[in-house]
Amino acid sequence: MQFVQNFPFMTIILSLFSGPLSSILDGKKAKRVNLAVMSVITVMSCAVLVFVLNSGSSYVYTMGHFPAPWGNEIRVGILEAFMAVFFCVIMFLCVVGGVYERERELEDTKQNLYYVMVNLLLSSLLTLIYTNDLFTAYVFVEINTISACGLIMIRQNGRTLEAATRYMIMSLMGSGLLLLGICFLYDLTGHLLMSNIREQVQLLHQSGTYNIPLLVSLALISVGLAIKSALFPFHAWLPDAYGYSTLSSAAILSSLVSKGYIFLLAKIFFRVIGFNIVRDSKVVNVLFVFGVAGMIMGSINAIRENNIRRMIAYSSVAQIGYIYMGFGLGTTAGVLASLYHVLSHAATKSLLFVAASGITDASGDNTEFLELTGAGYRNKLAGVAFTVGSLSMVGVPMFSGFISKLLFAQAGMESLHKMLPTLIALAISTILNAVYFMKTVIRIYTPVPQKLLQKKGFRSVSVKEQPYKSAALVFFIILNMLLGLSSEPVIRLLRSGLAMFS
Amino acid sequence: MSANMMVVVVLLPIIFGVLVPLIPFKTRRHMTWYVEGIVLLTSLLVWALLISRPDGSFTLFRFTGNLSVSFRLDGLGTVFAGILSSLWPLATLYSFEYMKHEGHEKYFFMFYVITYGVTLGIALAEDILTMYFFYEMLSLVTLPLIMHTLTREAILASRTYLYYSLGGAAFAFIGMIFILTYGTTSVFVPGGVIDAAALGDRQGLMLLIYVLCFCGFSVKAAMFPFSSWLPKAGVAPTPVTALLHAVAVVKAGAFTVIRVTYYSFGTELLRGTWAQMVVLGLTIFTIVYGCSRALKETHLKRRLAWSTVSNLSYILFGAALMTPLGLVGALSHMVFHAVMKICSFFCAGAVIYKTGRNYIHELRGFGWKMPKVFTIFTISGMALMGVPGLCGFISKWNLAKAAVSSENPLGYLGVAALLVSALLTAIYMMTISIRAFFPGKDFDYDTISDVEDPNWMMILPLVIFVIAMFVFGLHPEPMIAALESIAAAMN
Amino acid sequence: MNGWILLPVFLPVIAGIFLLLMSQCERRRLHQAAGAVLVISAVLAVAAAWTGDKSVTLFYLMKDIPVYFHIDGISRLYVTFTSIVWVCVGIYAFVYMEHEGGEKRFFGLYLIVYGVIVALDFAGNLVTMYIFYELMTLTSAPLVLHNGSREAVMAALKYLFYSLCGAYMGLFGIYFLYQNCDTLAFTPGGTLNPVLAQDHRTILLIAVFAMLAGFGAKAGMLPLHSWLPAAHPVAPSPASAVFSGIVVKAGVLAAIRTVYYVVGPDFIRGTWVQTAWMVLALVTVFMGSMLAYREPVFKKRLAYSTVSQISYILFGLSLLTPMGITGALLHTVFHAFIKSALFLTAGVFIFECGKTRVSELTGIGKRMPKTVWCYTFASLALIGIPPACGFVSKWYLAEGALNADVGVFGWLGPVVLLLSALLTAGYLLPVTMKGFFPGKRDGEKTSAGNSEMKSSAVDIRDAQKKEPSMMMLIPLGILASLTIILGVLPNPLIDYISQLISGLM
Repeated sequence: MQFVQNFPFMTIILSLFSGPLSSILDGKKAKRVNLAVMSVITVMSCAVLVFVLNSGSSYVYTMGHFPAPWGNEIRVGILEAFMAVFFCVIMFLCVVGGVYERERELEDTKQNLYYVMVNLLLSSLLTLIYTNDLFTAYVFVEINTISACGLIMIRQNGRTLEAATRYMIMSLMGSGLLLLGICFLYDLTGHLLMSNIREQVQLLHQSGTYNIPLLVSLALISVGLAIKSALFPFHAWLPDAYGYSTLSSAAILSSLVSKGYIFLLAKIFFRVIGFNIVRDSKVVNVLFVFGVAGMIMGSINAIRENNIRRMIAYSSVAQIGYIYMGFGLGTTAGVLASLYHVLSHAATKSLLFVAASGITDASGDNTEFLELTGAGYRNKLAGVAFTVGSLSMVGVPMFSGFISKLLFAQAGMESLHKMLPTLIALAISTILNAVYFMKTVIRIYTPVPQKLLQKKGFRSVSVKEQPYKSAALVFFIILNMLLGLSSEPVIRLLRSGLAMFS
Repeated sequence: MSANMMVVVVLLPIIFGVLVPLIPFKTRRHMTWYVEGIVLLTSLLVWALLISRPDGSFTLFRFTGNLSVSFRLDGLGTVFAGILSSLWPLATLYSFEYMKHEGHEKYFFMFYVITYGVTLGIALAEDILTMYFFYEMLSLVTLPLIMHTLTREAILASRTYLYYSLGGAAFAFIGMIFILTYGTTSVFVPGGVIDAAALGDRQGLMLLIYVLCFCGFSVKAAMFPFSSWLPKAGVAPTPVTALLHAVAVVKAGAFTVIRVTYYSFGTELLRGTWAQMVVLGLTIFTIVYGCSRALKETHLKRRLAWSTVSNLSYILFGAALMTPLGLVGALSHMVFHAVMKICSFFCAGAVIYKTGRNYIHELRGFGWKMPKVFTIFTISGMALMGVPGLCGFISKWNLAKAAVSSENPLGYLGVAALLVSALLTAIYMMTISIRAFFPGKDFDYDTISDVEDPNWMMILPLVIFVIAMFVFGLHPEPMIAALESIAAAMN
Repeated sequence: MNGWILLPVFLPVIAGIFLLLMSQCERRRLHQAAGAVLVISAVLAVAAAWTGDKSVTLFYLMKDIPVYFHIDGISRLYVTFTSIVWVCVGIYAFVYMEHEGGEKRFFGLYLIVYGVIVALDFAGNLVTMYIFYELMTLTSAPLVLHNGSREAVMAALKYLFYSLCGAYMGLFGIYFLYQNCDTLAFTPGGTLNPVLAQDHRTILLIAVFAMLAGFGAKAGMLPLHSWLPAAHPVAPSPASAVFSGIVVKAGVLAAIRTVYYVVGPDFIRGTWVQTAWMVLALVTVFMGSMLAYREPVFKKRLAYSTVSQISYILFGLSLLTPMGITGALLHTVFHAFIKSALFLTAGVFIFECGKTRVSELTGIGKRMPKTVWCYTFASLALIGIPPACGFVSKWYLAEGALNADVGVFGWLGPVVLLLSALLTAGYLLPVTMKGFFPGKRDGEKTSAGNSEMKSSAVDIRDAQKKEPSMMMLIPLGILASLTIILGVLPNPLIDYISQLISGLM
């Protein structure tokens, strides 16, 4: 047992405990602690990734030296380690990028509380990634929900309270369904450790008994997690929650929280149930249909939206639709595409949120479209960043979105009946994306007459004025281009990780 | 000249173009030298490439696994690259004079030069992904050129353009994926790459996807019902409308259609199917539709733009005949229309530049005040009509020859459409010339006393185009023979 | 070395371009230069035509499509009468154009069009013919809008677009013939490949019909005839004269070349194409006469008359029998002389008195009797009263129709021709009658509305006898006397034509 192998567990614990620690520090210090912790975790996760890559196989880490089936386990493979690194990086950039908004929008007494939530969220995400125990997963799902709720609510205005309440209700309903599903599985198999459940499920499947309960539990889990990750039509909570919370929260929620659930779902498909069984069930078809519907409806809603933040939020609904459509294809290639899209969407959506804040910043904090006119000239970096994010969302080559679109389409081609719907949905969704994102891009590059410039209190925002945000934006852009231009290593990582996954 | 040179010609204008606004030029003259220098250098390199015809391919970078951005020069690419490299320096020369009154020149020339590189990328693309890549890039880099004036109209036009282009690309994407999946290779091969064995009984699906893909790529070629962006985009400065919206961008659309039809899907599988009928029907309709709209239009540049819509569908019609002869017709019209239309646009630009008048009814009597410009305009109009002796006749002849020999009823209809369109072209072009030269007995020339011919920077390209029209019109054989040798590879 | 036969093509074209580009020069010098070039070219053209069958390939437009000239019987005929008319009208124009202005432009274009028409007559294959056919349209359009008035411009545009429409219909057919013929070079009897033609019979018939209708546009056949009445009144009279006399005949030439030299008469004999062609021609004959009869404006009346008369020719061609073609070709020649003469008289009326309406010409015979006599001879020829020439051609046409195997048209055709001849008399002769016998009771009977017209008519009646200048009168006289001479001595011409046709059928 090498020391590195302890790192996953240590990262979870580290973030978990730095949460309470933040609660007793003041805002500034809490921020420093938080950033330091995240950097450390990033480095450690990197080390884990390198280790797993070198060893070429996944390993199981038993906690407290209790062997299965009693003990709690962590299982680390390439995919998990990579996701951990990626999530940390994104979260770090989100927190850094939103620092000004946070300081301005939150009361001083609550600054430190924010970092508590962030730390808890990170630890729950890491757990969802690493854990090999279904019940642990459930517990951290709840922690995730609560901390996310806190992140929404912490900027207090009427809309966020309402949004948080909605989020809470929907999320808890999702958790409830998830819990029910887990109970069913436990009832059927008598295990909570994923690998053990899988053995039993496979046996059950082969013997042909308990098919219906199995299907029901699968459906419950899928629907539960779908609600939590805001799959259409369970997305009602999302626009408000993303639209009115403080910047970092919106960025983190959209790019990471929902992705944590999706990752968990992938895990359950591959590791708990077994992908062959999932594929044979009709659940994938349902996911496919709702995914496609989400792609279209999310975009249509986004087109109708007049508020840039809410528009980006609705775009998330569409993007989640892509991911579920990939799952719905029921092929490894489809899942691979979905996972790639998790990455690309995480990188792009947080970029968009941060860039959008830069744009609204230069427009007197107005989020209405009309007020954004010419913002691209006032805040050049944000303008460029928003353009990059938009192009990526539309799926223009060179940016990450194109690769995921490519992967989805290629995966779609493998499926006999879903091929045409997939391709058409992709095309239509591309057009719809283009409509609202490009509309915004052109809007922010439409010049305003000099008179209006004075009157509305627009101001120019230079790169130097907000070094953190600028740095975050630059990193996001680089990340996006990296994913778009040299996707091959990432895809290879994901592929080998996925192979190692089950 | 090695294959690596292809990367250079693509990247050189892109990189040096980006530098245009960054370099602190002392005077405007320095900037113009710099820009013209880059463009000329690129063109020279392209010509060197075209002459030496290196056989190898060169991979710039890889997207995923077997999907890469790579270049290769083949016959079809030669044609397109040849058109581009001949016209770009002339158009640049013209735009130095023209852009004086438009402002933001540095950004304009930056994108103008970048577009050159990107369009060359389309011409030299070895495989469908590369082509798609540059095709998308083209939409983006030309957007600022349309937006250039930043008026409300320009913004709306650029928005329409972008929606159409990206939407078209989305459907073209489907075709690309199909070829990546069912093709034996993603590289362009004369005659197509679809693996019939892998395709199995999915013939119908392939046809559907072909139609989608055709429509997708032909959005840039402004085929009905995707044509309305082009006249709107006429708000851009004239060098843009002339070079990009009569040649580079729209021909890129036609070029990509030809690529996917002849080099990816393959005409063997498509000929005689309903898919061919659909695309033929659409192009034939567009031929007539574009002309009728041009007839109704009173704005000079928009009229020319509608004329472009119609003429581009000549090319698409030739391509959709799916015979080697059709390809010859399409390519010849691609070359000749480039010359004719850029010439008429430049004339329109000269009018706008010198007088600021945009509408046709304002041009009365101009023929005697700007004799050079309007003589040339009349000649280009005649060429577009297809008067024998000018190049338009030759391409029309080739298209009609292909259509007649295709023995396809829609092909026959297409011949009729070509001629109806020729008549309409005559009407909308000749009325302008006649108005300009014969304003009426009692016309008061004092009202246009300020009108005069522009200086040599604008006239020189025009004269060159006129000479080209006559040369191609009277001695087209070398060009046609070259195109036939390209098409011969199809069999 | 047959290259010199192209001299009459290039000489006037180059001289014309030179005239157009030249800066203003003295009128006299201009006339001398233009006249010299015109006469030299005409002599050259006739010489080229009558020194045997010669052919020359200028260059290859495309691989298998040369720009090829070949002089044969039809070319000879056409070039000869074209040259005669062109020179006569040209001389007339030296005087006439004085009051129109813009002489430099007029003569420049006049020369160019002549060169183009000679090339058209010499053309040896379908594409070459098409090239010069279209060039003729483009170069002759500015002649129509010469005075630059709004109506003139509109008329020119109408002419241009109708002609182009026709030309493109012709081109439509050419595309198909190119695919289905062994060669596009003119060969008596046609070059249609029998195997291919059998396969593509339907589309080929459509194509041929499109060509006939299209070339018919130039010849003023229904339904594309209406450019003629629009263009003639506004164009200068010399231009009208050559338009009616020569330019519209280009449509006839194109039809002859298509039917007898490329497609072959056998292909369309008995098909719907022949029937349709015949019907269109006959309807045009009748309609043209009717419209001319009702038309008060003199030049417009003549224009409608042209519409009607050219369709005589087309009807003759559509019979597809030697007799019919003989009649058609004879009428082509005769009509060229007759109609130019008529338009020249109309020009004289305008030039000397400024009268454009028929009703204003009452009493004109008193003032310029020689002119009106010329007019009368030409009219008689057109009506077909022996011994004037129109009788000969109409005789052949009627007999051709009766002998041809065309069913009901065999007797319907002659009836229509006869009716039309009556109408022709009805619309042409009143000018002579009223001209010489203005009548006395006019003034007493007419109401107040007509009194003004009467007063203008009285003007002419009271005017001194004053003929136009000799430069105008002589060409007119030559043309008018030709109509009579050819009517009295038609035999050499008939012999020539029948010899020509024997090679055809």
